[in-house]
Amino acid sequence: MNKNTSDISVKTEKPDFFKMDRRTFLKTACLLGASAFLGTYRTEIVRALETAETKLVWLHGAECTGCTESLLNGGDPNVLSALQALDAKLAYHETLLAGQGIFVDGQPANTTELNSEILVDELIEEGNYILIVEGAIPNGPEGSGRFFMVGNRTFKELFAKAAGNADAILAVGTCAAYGGINSANSAIAQLTDYRGVAFTKNDSSGGMLQELGVNKPVINIPGCPAHPDWILLTLSAVILGKIRIPEDFPSVLDGYGRPKAYFSEDVHDECPRHDYYERDEFDTEIGGYKCLFKLGCKGKRANADCSIRKWNGGTSMCVQAGSPCIACVEPGFPDSSRPFYTQGSGGFDGRESDDIKGDDGKGDGVDSYDGTSSESDSYDTDSRRDSYYRIGDD
Amino acid sequence: MVNVTVDPLTRIEGHLRLSTEVNAEGVITDARSSCLLFRGFERILQNQDPRDAALLTQRICGVCPTSHSLAAANALDQLFGVADSVPKDALVARNINQALNTIASHATHIYVLWGPDLANPAYRDVLTPLGETGTAVWKELLGRFAPISYRLDGNTIPAGSSYLAAIPEKKRLHEAIAVIGGKMPHQVTSYPGGYTYKPTIADIGKLSSYYSQVMDFVSSYTLRVPFETWIENTYKASSPQSAVSFLLDQLRGLVDSSISGSNGNNFSREAGWGDAEFYAAFGSELVGETLLGLPASLKHDRTGGYSDSSKINFLAYGAFYRPENGDGYDPNSPAGDRFQTSGIVTGNLEYKNFDASKITESISHSFYEGSEELHPSKGETNPIGDPAEIRYDRGSDSRYTWAKAPRYEGMPCEVGPLSRLLAMKEPLVTGLARAFKDNGYSPANTYTRMIARIQETAIIANELLKWVTEDYDPNGKISVHTDLSMAKDSEGMGLWEAPRGALGHWVSTDSNSKVVSYQPVVPSTWNFSPRDSAGTPGPAEQALIGTRINAVENSLGVDYSNPVNILHVGRSYDPCIACAVHTLDLTGKNAPGILRIV
Repeated sequence: MNKNTSDISVKTEKPDFFKMDRRTFLKTACLLGASAFLGTYRTEIVRALETAETKLVWLHGAECTGCTESLLNGGDPNVLSALQALDAKLAYHETLLAGQGIFVDGQPANTTELNSEILVDELIEEGNYILIVEGAIPNGPEGSGRFFMVGNRTFKELFAKAAGNADAILAVGTCAAYGGINSANSAIAQLTDYRGVAFTKNDSSGGMLQELGVNKPVINIPGCPAHPDWILLTLSAVILGKIRIPEDFPSVLDGYGRPKAYFSEDVHDECPRHDYYERDEFDTEIGGYKCLFKLGCKGKRANADCSIRKWNGGTSMCVQAGSPCIACVEPGFPDSSRPFYTQGSGGFDGRESDDIKGDDGKGDGVDSYDGTSSESDSYDTDSRRDSYYRIGDD
Repeated sequence: MVNVTVDPLTRIEGHLRLSTEVNAEGVITDARSSCLLFRGFERILQNQDPRDAALLTQRICGVCPTSHSLAAANALDQLFGVADSVPKDALVARNINQALNTIASHATHIYVLWGPDLANPAYRDVLTPLGETGTAVWKELLGRFAPISYRLDGNTIPAGSSYLAAIPEKKRLHEAIAVIGGKMPHQVTSYPGGYTYKPTIADIGKLSSYYSQVMDFVSSYTLRVPFETWIENTYKASSPQSAVSFLLDQLRGLVDSSISGSNGNNFSREAGWGDAEFYAAFGSELVGETLLGLPASLKHDRTGGYSDSSKINFLAYGAFYRPENGDGYDPNSPAGDRFQTSGIVTGNLEYKNFDASKITESISHSFYEGSEELHPSKGETNPIGDPAEIRYDRGSDSRYTWAKAPRYEGMPCEVGPLSRLLAMKEPLVTGLARAFKDNGYSPANTYTRMIARIQETAIIANELLKWVTEDYDPNGKISVHTDLSMAKDSEGMGLWEAPRGALGHWVSTDSNSKVVSYQPVVPSTWNFSPRDSAGTPGPAEQALIGTRINAVENSLGVDYSNPVNILHVGRSYDPCIACAVHTLDLTGKNAPGILRIV
């Protein structure tokens, strides 16, 4: 074939996604976004699916349902068709399914069709599902987990059972990933003792799984809320075998368990107000259009592709709407970002700290960030990107 | 007596347990509402920069984040001393943001959270033996409202047409919020003294376009009567009677052509039965059977009512600033000052002015220790930290929830669309409530709660268009100056309305402008409150007591294993339990710098 013809055909045909190696696939799918990827490649996806159906069990811990709301904002044309394209079955989801817990004189009544407690137990016992967790998990008081009871048991107990039998776990949103706002510094933080699934704040030994002694592969998809593309594209990659669990984790996830495909960029670098920063033009009052750095913007430390991907179908993003980035995808959120409207808060002043960038994968260990005081934290996400797995990017 | 407990009540925000005692006739004789999760939210704001509250408190709830954010902004406006000077266009932008959030939340509730109960197999069992009409009605219920992953008798049921169509609309409404709010959930634009973003002419164009797309959904699925005709003859009707008459005339026309006419039992949307018309006719015994002569109805007006009108009030704090008042607003939300006015409506439907100082809270049945009957801004909360004491199975005299029991002049209050529309004397809902009262029903019931939510969606959509196209000036001012020094030793109160009801935030600061106390009082704490120290049950508890648990007034006998009316009543309030429970104070009653809970 003539070389020129070949070039033209590359430009006019869809690239063959499913022959791509893992990294190219992840990058390309990531750039397309969930809507375009799942919409454009529907036929190819169906052909590439190896298993008949992937069961998803979605549990709600201590959360605000914002991540479920966000998920409902994803897909093409909606999340239900996206899941259908992936042949993924939402087998259990409290907010969306028909059932509820029904007890007559303390005994579970009815069947899986109307009783969600019977359904979730049956699904867990069958195994062969991906567990998705939204929300943090309270360990308090006194390790009992009784600050959150559901269906006559603690959520900690339900989570332990569901995690123990899961093939893999997706911790969706900053609460499930790192404890999030539930774990924020306060006088009661020790009493409630909220945990993320595999981390608490940036501590990879403090997650609920470690507390329970359960060892399962976990992918963190933080964000407050998590972006629907991050959720759906990660699910796609897992279901299509483009992220092998757990073999690919060291190369695909960063030091905080996040897919590098979405959490490597800085919000700052592609920020729509970036040029103002370069020209030293800053807003000092809200309602303007210049760089928000002096109003406390944490875009330089926020590892997320919000500036490229934007939110709600590419409509806008925080900084575009005049509000400083609060780095809600970071393990220390909200303590590592507040006071939100103060330059340099959370122990970080991006203007003087550019030299911490230039990630070479040689982290200094997650334990150096104790996450206990918003006054004194020194925070440099970049240098720690790969420390969770202690393996550099391939 | 049989104990029938729903735990968790799913398809709501958060985690709720409804535990009932049911007699041999299937009537609920006692009920307890328990909020099951304790997060400790306000405490993280203590000693912090108060400005963070507008972003942080919306993380209480991902379904109504705008409401929390704006309640916080209102409290901060007063705290910074700028409530009287927030520019008119910032207020309009806040209105638009809130209106879109309310519409999205209502649509999500109606179609995704509440609607699926209409596809409960109990209705098949009741309706299909009633012949062609019953069978046709069941077909519509299942075909419109079935949720995803639904199974009946082992068969997979496709998701309902209305359910499926509603999800992209919710997505679209969130996109519209993102146009002027950055992103959704957790929009980012609320700030003391104004709004962080100045919407452009292009944004106004986009919002108008989103509006017309959403209205296409409304006219295709929800309301088949032309929207303008509906608004003109209900919301703008000359009297409550004429609004109800208009509704009945519309429905009678549909009934005539669908049952008696040539159209033989065709209740489809194509035959004119939008989801609203369909539920308005078939949801109610009084409207459907008595007034329209239908052979059957779901009898939702017989469920979720209050048996003693002297033990319930309807409460609204008021929401949506009036652009015609220009810059600034009154943080006390006096009667008539906002588009949806504040007010107290008694159980007998008499209106009284609202006064925020009359709110107290009781903790006698909650997992806390401390004093009783304190105003929220003076409240104190000492949680019970002994795991063995956190139990939900010790009966109605015990402590059984993490929610406190807010009261207004000692009275439990229902909050939400029904309360707001009664307070603003909206003709259709006021007329329906009176009709129910005059015919021996409770004016508040599952049916009127849902009709009020549908009607409020219509009213706010109508007003939204005015705010977007007439009131907002893209050349106007969007904020006034604030700095932290303006918040020294100060207090603020933010009265607002979340989609599910009255929402208040109270904040106070010290001489360094740091937060001393921050306290939201939220809708589901009102609706799902436990008993108070006088033993009076909360609104949802009262609404459950006396309700028959099974479909259509237990017409097929008693089945404890499918208590569909417990589900209807609980969900009719659109519960948000993450909101209802916030925080604790471990450090003692009078220690300085304590955060309080409602």
